[in-house]
Amino acid sequence: MGVLSALIVVVLMYMLIGSHVVAIPPIQGQRWLSWKFLTSTYNWQDKTLWAGSPEVVTSVLWDYRGIDTVYETSVFFLAIIGGLMLVRDYKPRGKPTGKGMSLISRTIVKIVLVAVPVVAASIALHGHLTPGGGFQGGSVFAVSSLLAIIGLGTGFLLGRGWSKSRLLGFRTLGLIIISSIALAIPFVGLLNGLHAYIIQNQWKPWAPVGFGYLADIPGLGSILYSGTLVFLNIAEFLAVSAGLSLAFIIMSLPREELKRSGGVEK
Amino acid sequence: MNDVLSMFIWGYIFTLTVAIIVVTVYGMATRPNLVKKLILLSIMSDTASLLAVLIGMRKGMVKPPVFPGVTYTEHNPVSEKALESFAATAVDPIPQVLVVTAIVIGLAVLVFLGYVVLLLYQKYGTLDVRLLEKKMRGEI
Repeated sequence: MGVLSALIVVVLMYMLIGSHVVAIPPIQGQRWLSWKFLTSTYNWQDKTLWAGSPEVVTSVLWDYRGIDTVYETSVFFLAIIGGLMLVRDYKPRGKPTGKGMSLISRTIVKIVLVAVPVVAASIALHGHLTPGGGFQGGSVFAVSSLLAIIGLGTGFLLGRGWSKSRLLGFRTLGLIIISSIALAIPFVGLLNGLHAYIIQNQWKPWAPVGFGYLADIPGLGSILYSGTLVFLNIAEFLAVSAGLSLAFIIMSLPREELKRSGGVEK
Repeated sequence: MNDVLSMFIWGYIFTLTVAIIVVTVYGMATRPNLVKKLILLSIMSDTASLLAVLIGMRKGMVKPPVFPGVTYTEHNPVSEKALESFAATAVDPIPQVLVVTAIVIGLAVLVFLGYVVLLLYQKYGTLDVRLLEKKMRGEI
């Protein structure tokens, strides 16, 4: 068996190197498309293809390839819905129990629990300026809810109003914001008889409808918000953090509770 | 010397990543426990993401694909020259974008499969695929 595995590894490496996917050592110089993305995202001189953001990854995700990311978000939403099938009749009865871990762990968890959401919000809000974005921030936020579930017990979050319907509501609100931003520009274009694209970000010479990139806020000066990117990041942060927290809460429910709430007997 | 060393390190890393993928596929085929299959699936998807990010590496280009020094309030127009020197030292952004998408989809698949495994365990009381097959047919 080991010989066969080694053989497969050798064949796969040969195929990867032979088809110029992998080069050892790495090749020099950018690929054409990468060079195009890197030089046009923050190009103040030629704004034909720019996104108004120095972060190339977020620009490609939400601007150049925005529809793909919208579909990806909806795939994630469907996975959460599939999980909710498991607890479709779940109603919290009485006070949720569960003590969590020892006093030392609980104290440390309570300290960390304040810091993690702050970091998550910072990652999401600076998604168009520094590495990071809505999904990354949402995942970091979900770490804090997982920490609360393990360290303080399932009852901690449920007792503070983190109910199923409320989290699902936040999840849906994020998706509604994303889809309304995606459809806002075509709607405005349709009303004015102009050419416009779905999930378009910036003004183009042949599609002159855009979100703009600078906002003058009194007291703060001009703020770089990069069009749709910051709003989409915030909406994605809301959607992913609520969805992942919901998934973790459902997975951590006691076994009897899960059995009673349907999916198995029905 | 430097070239030989870097070639050895790169070859070692790439071979190791491909080997991990092969081993996880082998484990998914042979382990009967569904949770172990799930763990191996997550290891495989993460290793594939690592391979994709490694493909985006360029010789001597190690900066992140983010134009430096821009904040909410500091945003001066950038000259064409600065942009080109930035593009000449940044890593390839496209594999990173694909990896972000792949991680989200992988997470969605993992969450869904986790729920399915939970449901199967509650209904049949086992996660061994050999026992599960018999129990589904009603032989036990």
